[in-house]
Amino acid sequence: MADRAGVIHDLGYRHYDGPRDGVATIARTLFVTGLRHAFGLGRSGKSKILPFLLLGLSTLPAAIVVGVVTLVGLSDLPLTYAGYTNQTQLLVSLFAAAQAPVLFSRDLRYRSIVLYLARPLPAYVVALTRWASLTTALLVFTVLPVLVLYAGGLLAGLDVSDQTTDLLKAVALLLLVSSMLAGITGFISSVSLRRGFAVVGSIVALVVVPGVVTAVQAIASEEGAEQVGVAAGLASPWSLTNGLASAWDAGVEVFTPPEGGWVVAYLAVAVLIAGVGLAAIVARFLKVGSQ
Amino acid sequence: MTGDSGQVIETTGLTKHYGQVHALTDLDIEVGDGVTGLVGANGAGKSTLIKILLGLLEPTSGGARVLGHDIATEGQEIRRLVGYMPEHDCLPPDVSASEFVVHMARMSGLGASAARERSADVLRHVGLDEERYRPMGGYSTGMKQRAKLAQALVHDPRLVFLDEPTNGLDPAARTDMLGLVRRIGSDFGIAVLVTSHLLGELEQVSDHVVVLDAGHLLRSSATGDFLEQTGSLLVEVVGGTTERDRFGEALAAAGLTCRPRGTAIAVEPAPAGVSVHDLVRDTAADLGLGLMRLQPDRRHLEDVFHDDVPLGDPIPGGGPRG
Repeated sequence: MADRAGVIHDLGYRHYDGPRDGVATIARTLFVTGLRHAFGLGRSGKSKILPFLLLGLSTLPAAIVVGVVTLVGLSDLPLTYAGYTNQTQLLVSLFAAAQAPVLFSRDLRYRSIVLYLARPLPAYVVALTRWASLTTALLVFTVLPVLVLYAGGLLAGLDVSDQTTDLLKAVALLLLVSSMLAGITGFISSVSLRRGFAVVGSIVALVVVPGVVTAVQAIASEEGAEQVGVAAGLASPWSLTNGLASAWDAGVEVFTPPEGGWVVAYLAVAVLIAGVGLAAIVARFLKVGSQ
Repeated sequence: MTGDSGQVIETTGLTKHYGQVHALTDLDIEVGDGVTGLVGANGAGKSTLIKILLGLLEPTSGGARVLGHDIATEGQEIRRLVGYMPEHDCLPPDVSASEFVVHMARMSGLGASAARERSADVLRHVGLDEERYRPMGGYSTGMKQRAKLAQALVHDPRLVFLDEPTNGLDPAARTDMLGLVRRIGSDFGIAVLVTSHLLGELEQVSDHVVVLDAGHLLRSSATGDFLEQTGSLLVEVVGGTTERDRFGEALAAAGLTCRPRGTAIAVEPAPAGVSVHDLVRDTAADLGLGLMRLQPDRRHLEDVFHDDVPLGDPIPGGGPRG
């Protein structure tokens, strides 16, 4: 301040008259911060261990497959991209369960959410941005090994157009499952603010429930009650994704594949789960914001 | 100070009911520049008022303008221009104050380098030095309050809401915090609305005091008006209680009503035609006592509650009195 005659060792309080970002830019900043935090970046060293360990574990088989394909000279990948994620779904679920509380519980539990809400971003934008960060983190987590597989496959001389079609199918399915997982774990974490409860709740929703669904489907298939198995598939994000992958011929085998109208129902329910999860997160943030 | 149109905060008939609970009732207040104290017992509606002014809560009826913006339609613009220090704990324990304040600056729309620069500045002003690089989970209450204050100031707001900034502080930290609040209003040129349930604190730092009681406005006036002169004098002479008593008795004999207060004597307003000051001087001279102090007896802010408030019968919309 030109008119402020401060003494030399103390500049006094200086006002800020520089530019201020609009809501869109602030939301983008929050999105990037959230995405980094989901992988423990910009947080303590300890908080990087789990996400990167899981990422390593889920990428390692892809690297091995690529090595085998290159050395042995196979003409095709032993499994499809969608099939690969199906194999690593436990790791994806653990990542979602462990990292959702970072984005959703912390602000609410320590009540720093109040400081966000006293700033320009409206509560629903904060909630949407958090969800977008987690969805993107999950997408990165699932797409990375698939890309390793794809790059390796192409280097090994596999057919580019076949592989690309397969890859795009897988990415579309991964986007769907990521938004569902983010909606489910985000909501669970924004309700049960204790990290432990949030993790356990998410594991129940993403590991136990799909496990039960698969068991029901296996029994239904064995007993010849296909429709029961198909209907049971509506109950978990993974069975929905795998059912859709199988119907879409993306290289995933399920006990009771959905057909005809069921495929539409699977897609509708998957979109609904993602949407309801997101809406529930927004509602939760709005409620906390007015407390 | 600012004129009517330039008020920092203006509320008209502001009312907030939570079902049967009436948090605020028909509140009309005006807040200008400088430091304004918002006083009331716990549950008087102070925090509710701040949340409504921030646009975080919708009033049941009535309206308000903050820095010229309507709370109902321009909440986002208001939140861009104000800072808020909540009463409760709101700091994540696993990040340092430095990182956290930078992040909060960015959430207010400052660019990355501006956010870093302002954070460093503001943390220095609030008095967080080396500890700013440590995770906040290990902070003392005083340090936490400073970090909370820093995040409220980092984006250079034009108005800050400080909700109970001295809560939980020891006397020395309390004095420091009050000094800071005073500086924010005067040196930093930021309007301050500071709440407290301790009247004595606000007496030291506020230019203006608004008193809430159970959601009603009890009074709103300049701090000076609260501390109005009672017309009495406080007189103190050199020596101990013996001298005090000798002097008091002499004054009483001269026709003044006096009573001891501590080491001094409170002299009540004299009947018309008697010059109290002359009488005190002459009496002291006659007795050979040294006059040490002679000052108008001021009331304290607490008296607003002790004297003016007929319990259970608040004065709705009470304006400046006395």
